[in-house]
Amino acid sequence: MIKYIFFKILQSIFTLFLVITIVFVLMRSMPVEGYLGEDYDKLDQVQKEVIIESLGLRDPIHVQLKKFYNRIIAGDLGVSITYRPGVPVADILKSKIPYSLGIGLTSLAISFVSGINLGIIMAENSGKILNKLGNIYIVATNAIPAAIYYILLQFYLTDIFKLPMLFYADRPISWILPILSLSLGTTASYALWMKRYMADELNKDYVKLAISKGMKMKDVIKKHVFINAFVPMVQYLPASILFTISGSIYVESLYSIPGMGGLLVEAIQRQDTTLVEAIVLIYSFIGIMGMLFGDIFMALLDPRIKFGKSEGRI
Amino acid sequence: MGVKGKIVKKFLLLFIGVAVVLKACTMSENIYPNHRSILDREFRTIYSGEVTTLNYLTTATANEFSLIVNFVDPLVEYDRFGKIQPALATEWSVSEDGLVWTFKLRPGVKWVTYDGEIYGFVTAQDFVDGLKYVLTSENRSKTANIVYNMIKNAKEYYNKEITDFNQVGVKALDKYTLQYTLIKPIPYFLSTLTYTCFFPANGQFIKDVGGKFGIDNKHILYNGSYIMKTYEPHHRRILEKNPHYWDKENVYIDRISMTYNKEANVLAPEMFLRGEIDHVNIGSDIIYEWMRDEKKKNLIRPNRTNFFSYFYSFNFNPNFSEEYEPENWKIVVNNRNFRKSIFHALDRKAAMLTEEPYEPENRLLNTITPKGFVSVGGVDYTDLQPLREFTQKDSFNIELALAYKKKAMKELRGKATFPVKVLMPYNAASKQWANRAQVIKYQLERILGKDYIEVIIEANPPTGFLEKVRNSGKYGLMELNWGADFADPETYTHPFRRDSTFSWIHLAEGNGKEDGLTIYENLLQKAMEEVEDINKRYLLFAEAESYLIEEAFVIPYSVGGGGYSASRINPFEISYSPFGATSGRFKGLRLLKRPMNIEEYKKELYKWQMERKGQFEGGRE
Amino acid sequence: MMKNINYSYWISTFKAFKKNKVALFFLYIIIGLIAFITIQPFLPDQKSPNAIYVDEATGLQLINKPPSKEFWLGTNSIGQDMWARIWAGTRISLLIGFTVALWENLIGLFVGLIWGYVRKLEGIISVIYNVLNNVPKTIMLILLAYTMKPGLLTIIFIMCISGWLDSARLVRNLVVTIRDREYNIASRILGTPIYRIVSKNILPYLVSTLVLKTTLSIPAAIGYEVFLTYIGLGLPVSTPSLGNLISEGRGYIVVPSLRYQLMIPALILSTITVSFYTIGNAFADASDPKNHF
Repeated sequence: MIKYIFFKILQSIFTLFLVITIVFVLMRSMPVEGYLGEDYDKLDQVQKEVIIESLGLRDPIHVQLKKFYNRIIAGDLGVSITYRPGVPVADILKSKIPYSLGIGLTSLAISFVSGINLGIIMAENSGKILNKLGNIYIVATNAIPAAIYYILLQFYLTDIFKLPMLFYADRPISWILPILSLSLGTTASYALWMKRYMADELNKDYVKLAISKGMKMKDVIKKHVFINAFVPMVQYLPASILFTISGSIYVESLYSIPGMGGLLVEAIQRQDTTLVEAIVLIYSFIGIMGMLFGDIFMALLDPRIKFGKSEGRI
Repeated sequence: MGVKGKIVKKFLLLFIGVAVVLKACTMSENIYPNHRSILDREFRTIYSGEVTTLNYLTTATANEFSLIVNFVDPLVEYDRFGKIQPALATEWSVSEDGLVWTFKLRPGVKWVTYDGEIYGFVTAQDFVDGLKYVLTSENRSKTANIVYNMIKNAKEYYNKEITDFNQVGVKALDKYTLQYTLIKPIPYFLSTLTYTCFFPANGQFIKDVGGKFGIDNKHILYNGSYIMKTYEPHHRRILEKNPHYWDKENVYIDRISMTYNKEANVLAPEMFLRGEIDHVNIGSDIIYEWMRDEKKKNLIRPNRTNFFSYFYSFNFNPNFSEEYEPENWKIVVNNRNFRKSIFHALDRKAAMLTEEPYEPENRLLNTITPKGFVSVGGVDYTDLQPLREFTQKDSFNIELALAYKKKAMKELRGKATFPVKVLMPYNAASKQWANRAQVIKYQLERILGKDYIEVIIEANPPTGFLEKVRNSGKYGLMELNWGADFADPETYTHPFRRDSTFSWIHLAEGNGKEDGLTIYENLLQKAMEEVEDINKRYLLFAEAESYLIEEAFVIPYSVGGGGYSASRINPFEISYSPFGATSGRFKGLRLLKRPMNIEEYKKELYKWQMERKGQFEGGRE
Repeated sequence: MMKNINYSYWISTFKAFKKNKVALFFLYIIIGLIAFITIQPFLPDQKSPNAIYVDEATGLQLINKPPSKEFWLGTNSIGQDMWARIWAGTRISLLIGFTVALWENLIGLFVGLIWGYVRKLEGIISVIYNVLNNVPKTIMLILLAYTMKPGLLTIIFIMCISGWLDSARLVRNLVVTIRDREYNIASRILGTPIYRIVSKNILPYLVSTLVLKTTLSIPAAIGYEVFLTYIGLGLPVSTPSLGNLISEGRGYIVVPSLRYQLMIPALILSTITVSFYTIGNAFADASDPKNHF
């Protein structure tokens, strides 16, 4: 297992290296004029050249890459080029991540707990009214485009409960709606998959066997079905937790939350390569770590799953 | 399961409950007069475009100018009629040859830090330091070209041909005397001083903050009417009146709080109705609703237009893909009658309806230079003799269009293939533009017939749009725009010059060539050389411009701005200037008790026009 | 013999599915919808979705007209027929949905099986997966949009490039949980060829999940198109799609009299989503052999 984890970590580092290199090359293959932003038309040729050159964009790509690696290895995320010129990328991220993380984690906790429970209840009550209600809820959140129901929630709930329309860090009451909005969809998807896995498990022979042996349904569910259905749910959890820092573009846009939502898209559109690189570095680190932890979690929870090169062992 | 079930049930009930309530209530109940408290000295607003920097020495973006002009004052400023007034300079003079400008500065103006502490006094050296920063190429100033096209030796310094800044044409003669030396006499020099690249900056402060000058509110010094106390990008800004401001009697709003919201166009109108903000733009999406509702209608007024000029250009350097037949386009675009048929067939009002469903005519522009931009002897530039015939009437004329079509088809028979493919690209990021392109396609084809033209509208991604489409000549007919850089008609000739990458008019055939110059270039040169007699200068520029329009090289379309607002700001108190910089100033603005409505706006507009006329009677500008 | 068993498996699945009346209802809705959007342009009195209709007297476009005999669902802000646009948009969106969903899940299944089962390739596929999964789609999208024209093919292409990743991972995770079960280990020891283990021992376990995933992928792809339009990378407005219609109509969410221009496309999107969701779930249940008795 330790060998397996060590191997995985090496592999992760290699992947990370590939990702940032590809992203770097992709970003650099965008037209250099993009770095001049919307002021493009007001610049003359000399100026454009001076600006592009002083940003190091005229160097051959391998020179640029070398500089980039050196910087990253030294732990320097660099300075933003166009998003907020001159501001260290680390500062930009430092000011944004806590917002997304705070709201995201709260919402994730709420949705995980309520989603799992909802899924269990639905599985236990299949065919009954609770299951139907749950289904309606899941279907509704999936079916109505988030872009629409978020606005409707924001408009009407603030009006009915006299809440502030936007988010203010110093007024906790204004946090409720963004968190609620964010939770609705995730709760539904947790419930959906939990129910699915539970239903799959409940159909298995060991359940029938246990029942026929006189075990109570409740105990079977508690002791076996739940754990077995829970395993695949957990696999995505580490990544989900970590990815809360990426924020939600819809919710943050609607409530004026200065978080990470939409930052990547905007940085790409503004061609702020350093900022894009930093975000990609973080996200892929998280993604890869999430995957790794997920695998390890799964291996720990379900002894039947084996990773690594232990094929011969039974 | 019991407890868990209850939680979930509650959750579901809440959701269902919400859904039920949603249907039951409508929102138009609360309307402006229900404001819980009307604040007199605080202005609250929502904005959807965040500034990227506060470094006024490097930025060239209107969005950034309009915030920064509240923090730093220029030498001179525009009043609400567009008249230049002393600001940091109290008086000025220009040498006989028009090359040396000397400014006497206002003594005792203070630099203040973001937390309101006095840093020092504004002196002539600050203007020198500011320019030095702009002209140091490592600082990547996007406005350096404005400076080095006017100031002596500035270009040489920028290009590192000279290293001694003392040779550059800006000097602090003493603590309060500043002198600029120009390359050539520039009649509009004073107006360019309102550009942020000419703003003062304390050299010591720049040195102290290193590369961080202007990255946020803490890294600039303030000498203007407001100080930015709080700056949380993509969240909010709080501006407070500068207690040390030299002209604080004319600052009436104590506090301005601006909240960022990307969805402002959807959310802000409702926030205005709930009394959470004092100003909102009413977009074309919801204007119908507001116009239809008597109560809401009373809250809105038109916005003023700005000095961005939009026009449709024919491309004389077609460089697009074979499938759109660039060779054929080259033949037809060089036919004057073909161009004129489109010129008269373009229903600009129909196109404008996509943005301005009410009174679209107010935005239409019959010349390239906007109305009210400059005037001479009380006559607006666009009303000068050479341009008057265009200003007086709409270019849209079906009979003329069809007559020219007939002529063009006759002349081009055998030379060009019909229908002509007219490639009309647009930026996919702009919904308005996309709408306009569709309307124009159907409208042109309807009037001129599908036997004559086939308009192909092509969406292009916003990334590198201008470079990819316009500058590469990948269009046939396209909407282009240009904004003023200084107060002189010369500024609007830029797109039509040989060195621009707009539409390559100099490649047009039959445009006559003397000394290697086209007719237009000759007209232009004559105008630019006239720097003594302003009246004559403007007439010459008007002549050049009318040539462009008469030959249908370009189809004037509209000015920017416009639309409607619900606002407690009186738009006629805003500093009036042709290039966006000072129009963002809150100095001199007072908050209205209730928003101005359309009738009041019209009354105020008339009053303003009359007063302005009085101000400029006999004078220039 | 084996064939016979397979045969009856699918028959039983359909039988089980047919028992679910709600799912059947939604299946009919989807079939009806597809049939309708296919024949709609050929019905009498249909208008072009892109043409702009003008008032003959003034030559100006008919803006935001309410539903009438002439324009069954009124006109939009530039005088186009909403009825025609909505159905044209549904057509485009469903086309995107089906193409992308099929591609995603076929490739996903294929890659996922190899990834989960062939240990030699596990490392390399993990690396490829991680790389592709972590290079932001937006970058690829913007670059592709720069080299290709914004349009239907570009959108489908970009969705396909990275869309299969999720399915592949889902399949892989399932395979991993199944492959080391005793009966598979027994098969391996007994020398059963890999393809046989995969098709007989593993695939049947995947059917229910995969069907569900595919049916959910269709509305998800349509929803993703809505999202792409939201961030400004969607289809050009001259190609109506549900994403375009919704993003055009979003401003009307606060305008009661015009809200229907948003609500109708949203309703269609919701119907499609709900239908596929229900069908998918019912089919997943039906495809589980244990539900066949």
